Amino acid sequence: MKYVRGTTIVLVLWYALAWVLASPIVPFPHLVLVHLVRSMGEGKTYLHLLFSLYRIFMGMMLALFFAIPTGMVAGRFKALDQVVSPVLYLLYPLPKIAFLPIFMVLFGIGDLSKIILIAVIIFFPAAVTIRDGVKEIPVQFLELARAYHLKPRQILKDILWPAILPRIFSSLRITVGISLSVLFISENYAATYGLGYYIMNSWVMAYYIGMYSGIVLLSLLGLGLYIVIDGVERLVVPQSAL
Amino acid sequence: MVTISDARLDYPRHIAFANFTLAVKPGEMVSIIGKSGCGKTSLLYAIAGLLPLSQGTLSLTGGTEACSIMFQQDRLLPWKTVLGNVLLGLTKDYVGQAEMLLDRMGLYGHRKKYPQQLSGGERQRVALVRSLVRNPRLLLLDEPLAALDEQNRELLQQEIKEFVITKGITLIMVTHSIQEAIFMGSRILVMQPDGIRFETENPHHGAKDLRNRTEFFALEKVLRAQLGGPA
Repeated sequence: MKYVRGTTIVLVLWYALAWVLASPIVPFPHLVLVHLVRSMGEGKTYLHLLFSLYRIFMGMMLALFFAIPTGMVAGRFKALDQVVSPVLYLLYPLPKIAFLPIFMVLFGIGDLSKIILIAVIIFFPAAVTIRDGVKEIPVQFLELARAYHLKPRQILKDILWPAILPRIFSSLRITVGISLSVLFISENYAATYGLGYYIMNSWVMAYYIGMYSGIVLLSLLGLGLYIVIDGVERLVVPQSAL
Repeated sequence: MVTISDARLDYPRHIAFANFTLAVKPGEMVSIIGKSGCGKTSLLYAIAGLLPLSQGTLSLTGGTEACSIMFQQDRLLPWKTVLGNVLLGLTKDYVGQAEMLLDRMGLYGHRKKYPQQLSGGERQRVALVRSLVRNPRLLLLDEPLAALDEQNRELLQQEIKEFVITKGITLIMVTHSIQEAIFMGSRILVMQPDGIRFETENPHHGAKDLRNRTEFFALEKVLRAQLGGPA
């Protein structure tokens, strides 16, 4: 329900723009939506969506696979933090998209290079956020763990992991936007499926309705990811909903 | 149960306490009062094994495994339910006992709630159950009731006292409140940074009407004089 108002505002602005410009370059929303519904049924548009979803999901998982231990180690052990954090800070600001050609050479022109690029982009904010999450665990909780003789495995399970879980979801939310942008660019190279490919291919053929269908799908993909991230967070961090 | 001899604990910039010697017999209930900064909490942390002594010796029958501490703040983990907090670090074998203790504290209905959903008094009761469920032989209390209103405080004092006496647990309690020290302690110590300033037995500790006895007020007067101003 909360999305209805936002969608209405976007549609009104879109209609206004289409009406003012009166050009095929900005088609009316209803034409795009009709095309979108039809192409999802008849064409292979859903395949483009699925490929993009697969790449972004795998990118997220791969990023977390490395970011969680990196952030936890840096947050928990001061000596290691002094090594890890400067490396993170040096590499974090680099425009990772510039490495796409290198990744394509190293990992091939298929899905792997695209997934790794997305993973690299998510990795840095995720690792830094998780590191800060571990650092901000109140010292009283760690004292409590010592007072009650918790074993290292129990400290990890009962204190460190639950403390960083909300941070993991925050870092995913923060990186959804940038991940989609990078996905779009990376799918313009050596791809025959994916929303980035679909949008740019439609544009090259001056097929603007198709192009806008792809943009709408990319936007819906982002929205869907936010909804899923929030939903999973409510499931695994139940106290966040209180 | 606890033997501390000539103990001293240094922080980087100051001494927490020094020249501290104490022997606590099993089942004894010792209250420690003293002005802020006299090292009461540091002493308790040292007994619990959370802070190392800089000098002197400290021995516990059964080691630190046999003792359980209840802190000034409840320190409940916000991501665990009441029952989850109580069972922190314990196996499922303790569920029955945890539920029994929660029931005794009037918290059974709250066992699936999160700490954020409880009042201050309820949270402190959960923290108490968490420290009791471990069947400690030595219970250390660090001003655990300081943040509670008077009614809740007296109720919990009564609960703790009954439980500790019934189970034969040894108690060392640090408090700011002279009245609490008298109600809870069979022995009361007035502590200052350079050791124990005053020590007294509390012969009426077991009396049911302790709070209304003239001896209670007489002892309060003595302790107040020994503290030499607000605790």
